[in-house]
Amino acid sequence: MSRIWRSRELLVFLLLILLVLVVGLINPNFWRARSLMHILNSSLILILVSIGEMFVILTRGIDVSVGAILGLSAVILGVALNAGVALPLAVLLALAVSVLAGMVNAVGITFLRVPPIIMTLGTLGVYRGLMLIITGGSWIETIPTSIKFFANWHILGVRFFIWVTLVIVIFTALLLRRFKKARYLYAVGDNEEGARLMDIPVRKTLFTAYTLAGLFAGIAAIIFVAQIGFVPMQAGNGQELRAIAADVLGGVNLTGGVGTPLSALVGAIFLTAVDSALVFVKVPGYWNNAVGGAILLAAVYLDYRVRRAVAAQQRQARAAVRKENNHLNPSTREEQA
Amino acid sequence: MKAHVLKWMKTWEFGLAVLLVLEILVLGAINPTFLNLENLLYSTSDFTHILLAALPLTLIIITAGIDISGVSIMGLASITLGLTWVAGVNIFIAMFIALGVGILAGMFNGAFVAATDVNPLVITLGSLFMFAGVAMGLPGLLDALGFKAYGAAGFAAYMYEGISGLPHSFNQIAHGGIGWAPYPLLIVLVFAAFLGVILHKTRFGRYLYLIGVNPDAARYSNVPVKSTLITVYALSGLGAALAGVVLTSYFTSARSDLGKEALLSIITVVVLGGADIYGGKGTIVGTLLAGFLIGFLRQGLLAMGVTSDVVPVVVGALLILVVALKLFVAAYNQRRLNQKALKMSEARR
Amino acid sequence: MAKPATPSPDHYDPQSDKTPLVELKNIWKVFAGVPVLKGINLNLRPGEIHALLGGNGSGKSTTMKILSGVYIPERGDIFIDGQRRVFHSPNEAHKSGIYMVPQEPHIFPHLSVEENLLLGLDIDVGEAREKITRLAQEIGFESGLSEEAGSLSIANQQLLEIIRGLLRNAQILILDEPTSALTFREVEHLFNRMRTLSQRGIGIFFISHRLNEVMDISHRISVLREGRIVLAAPTSELNSQKLVRAMLPEDADVREVERRARSAQSREASEVALDVQHLSSDAFQDVSFQVRAGEVVGLAGLVGAGRTEVAEAVVGLDPHARGRVFIKGQDVKKPDARRSQSLGLVYVPEDRHAHGIFLDLPSLYTMTATILDRLGRYLISRKQEEVVGDSYREQLSIRMNSLYQIARTLSGGNQQKVVLAKALASKPDVIILDEPTRGVDASARQDVYHLIHRLAEQGVGILLISSELEEIVDLSDRILVMYQGRIIQETQRADISLQKIMAAAFGLQGEASL
Repeated sequence: MSRIWRSRELLVFLLLILLVLVVGLINPNFWRARSLMHILNSSLILILVSIGEMFVILTRGIDVSVGAILGLSAVILGVALNAGVALPLAVLLALAVSVLAGMVNAVGITFLRVPPIIMTLGTLGVYRGLMLIITGGSWIETIPTSIKFFANWHILGVRFFIWVTLVIVIFTALLLRRFKKARYLYAVGDNEEGARLMDIPVRKTLFTAYTLAGLFAGIAAIIFVAQIGFVPMQAGNGQELRAIAADVLGGVNLTGGVGTPLSALVGAIFLTAVDSALVFVKVPGYWNNAVGGAILLAAVYLDYRVRRAVAAQQRQARAAVRKENNHLNPSTREEQA
Repeated sequence: MKAHVLKWMKTWEFGLAVLLVLEILVLGAINPTFLNLENLLYSTSDFTHILLAALPLTLIIITAGIDISGVSIMGLASITLGLTWVAGVNIFIAMFIALGVGILAGMFNGAFVAATDVNPLVITLGSLFMFAGVAMGLPGLLDALGFKAYGAAGFAAYMYEGISGLPHSFNQIAHGGIGWAPYPLLIVLVFAAFLGVILHKTRFGRYLYLIGVNPDAARYSNVPVKSTLITVYALSGLGAALAGVVLTSYFTSARSDLGKEALLSIITVVVLGGADIYGGKGTIVGTLLAGFLIGFLRQGLLAMGVTSDVVPVVVGALLILVVALKLFVAAYNQRRLNQKALKMSEARR
Repeated sequence: MAKPATPSPDHYDPQSDKTPLVELKNIWKVFAGVPVLKGINLNLRPGEIHALLGGNGSGKSTTMKILSGVYIPERGDIFIDGQRRVFHSPNEAHKSGIYMVPQEPHIFPHLSVEENLLLGLDIDVGEAREKITRLAQEIGFESGLSEEAGSLSIANQQLLEIIRGLLRNAQILILDEPTSALTFREVEHLFNRMRTLSQRGIGIFFISHRLNEVMDISHRISVLREGRIVLAAPTSELNSQKLVRAMLPEDADVREVERRARSAQSREASEVALDVQHLSSDAFQDVSFQVRAGEVVGLAGLVGAGRTEVAEAVVGLDPHARGRVFIKGQDVKKPDARRSQSLGLVYVPEDRHAHGIFLDLPSLYTMTATILDRLGRYLISRKQEEVVGDSYREQLSIRMNSLYQIARTLSGGNQQKVVLAKALASKPDVIILDEPTRGVDASARQDVYHLIHRLAEQGVGILLISSELEEIVDLSDRILVMYQGRIIQETQRADISLQKIMAAAFGLQGEASL
């Protein structure tokens, strides 16, 4: 637990506080509880997708189709609800679709051995295409109020979905820490070859990771539909990229083996806060992407510099040890013909 | 000579060429307009932008890198073209400025890749966002900075509508041609020839293969890795900018969100063309043939009445199938080779 | 101290007629069309420490990887305790009590020591902790269970691997080159632990290329050469000479390599081709030496002494190095490998797969990788390139079907020749050869030795780094010995003797050590 205090997540959290303070100075409305709550509320979707993506990145893989999976699930949900399907059933259906979509990725990557970037790029196209086919290219304009109710339901003053997300985050975090099979994700990402030799079921682990990514995209889709109230054609567009950005920002290492749901949480909230901040500082919304991209680049660059500094430190420490050894060992004398 | 020809027949490129011919025949059978050469050539204008981006991307993939920011650079180039023209610059000079912007954007990517060990996928992911954002925000920014546009209601108006009314001479780029060959096709062929020579005949091209196969050995062999990387990403930026210019001419309107949907097709073309995502393999001819394959496929599907939404489904599925197939074939060949060697060794004892 | 002694008495019983723990019968393995194992027969008795000796590429690691379930042989059988077994995965091998400690420990750097040990194992955690603490003490493993594994020293990482094996109740341990990254003291430590394990009846396969270590610790030695076992006998019946002879083809004599004919005086008069002054970096301190034109200077020492690091720093591949390097009198100033090459210094790296050769490209491409700028102004002239390739193909007797044969399909010896061709292509005045005959078969090895002679005759200065002490002794005009980052001895031709060099490599000075 103490490792948190040295960590990346803390850093980003502090940056977040800093951001809020600075923006608030420019526009004090930002400091109102309402605004801050609004940020939290808007970040829920990204948080969930980011956690799903995190599973994949932990194993040193990547999934660029989670946005499309979100869109597809959202579409299925919308269509089902409008067709009169009962809410619980419709939700289940949407989740089933997202899990299935994730499984398709999993099969391609673990059994057919297609590289993750290729596989998920392919399914991105397929799922997005399916979305358009199902909706006939038009938006799903109306969603029955049954689901929209949940978006506004406040428990103890906090929205229902915020509670849900919080529970999911905590549950996932605990699971990843304690549950042995969950640690396999880290092992596979840290050293896949080594994991294989250690009897760790690599295939099953990878399969689970991509399936979970799909599942979380599905959960995010439900919240999306409830919050937004309709399903635009571009639902989920670009979410995968933002999720990856959020993860990397929050400390999930792209080379695998490092990162926690807390990373995804903090990164997602930070990115959403930046979007919101831009609004409050009166910067037009289309700059979001530019700023987001710049932040991501800055983050990975800083990350690189830090790693280099750490490596240099380690090297010097080892050199010092060597020097000591030389002093202690009487048989090292310079020249002896 | 005969041995050479026979050897070429076993290559991936030959397979693609055969498939291409088959495809045209099949499509022609379904819709005879395909067999009309003039029609066929003019239909290429629909997808030349994909090729323009995919060709230099092949070079990057050979180095085991990747660049997904091309689609944003297309939009950036397009809007730059439009805005500089609206500010009073001659359209063709504006075009070169747009190309220059593409090169600069590419150099930014390349410098980042060369200077850090960060995954090119992440770097170009960030720049994908950044360039797209800048492209979108540029009109508004210029407005806010007080630049004046010729006629019209200030730059901001261009944000959503794009800039139209471009000079006829410029629009001819996408709609004109020499004889049966439309200009975009000629541009692609010239660009392909240029890149082909660079890749297969210069030491820069050789460096690309060396870096892709073994970047450490490349360093130890004094290959100028950093400058090579910066250059190859700059080329990709140039290709994307070219694509943006051609698209602008094609739609007769400069927009910041041009080409957004093209990423999947671009990567599919490169992979289908024989390039290995892990580096060290790939040819210009392969990418070119694959580009036509995918391009005509799209045309064919549309002609068959399939809606444009279904096309990415087919392309996506195709991408996965091709890669899976390649892996199977490689594994099968390897096993066959091993068995053969085993038999030979035992026989010798 | 480190000298070959008779194997210590223990519970190993050579005459035991109990079923062997392991029996490998007629194992064949083919990689990428190249047979790597050609009918291996091997067995291991309870409590036996059985050493496998042989150069790189001889098949020792591959054989053990088959035993531990990483590879599946094309032909042949494995018997464990008399029962025939087929292993499709390391998991299955583990279940039969086999555990391999790889040369590079497989660590999950970001996970804790405890997780590294227990992951993948179906065992009660509390019980496991107890067992681990006990084993750790026995083995001499010093580290907290919750520490990050990535921060452990290599020695401790190897011990971690051994504990992993013991936790799985391994009866058969395979140690693959465990000493290559260990200090002398750590090696002694390890050997004592191995003796303890052997006394408990655990059988150990010990892979190494170090003669003295093998003589020290093993009960029986099997020598592999090019995928076959060429010698198998109890250690007591063997000595270093017999072992070395076994690793060369029958017709070659160990002392075959011609001594240099050129007189010492004429060499002293030749100019200084390479002058290194007070070079220091992380892995070495205050290194100074010279190489004259036409001279072969050997740099000897154990792995970890810092020789490769010195070489890389001299060439300019180490940005942190301090000191001065002069190539033919010219000061190189900043570490800059390209400049070094243009001044006439090239480096043939130790690890050719990682740093020297482009495996998945035509061999010709590797050969010309450093001189592409000389093959045409704007475009590469294919003809000129092929001329260069053909010239070296002949000079070095490289066996390949065509210049464009993919490098991966060449044998180790020919691959090394391709890398040498690359180095020679820029017509250097000084060459640093780092382990040039590692993984090279005997006849190719002779070719390399002749090449070294020829180059010296032509006036090229050569710095030869090698772990094969005999090689260095036979080829060098002068030998520098490094120990823990310093040059501790410099010996002239007349005084060179294998024992002296070997002793110095272990940090020992003077005759008294023997």
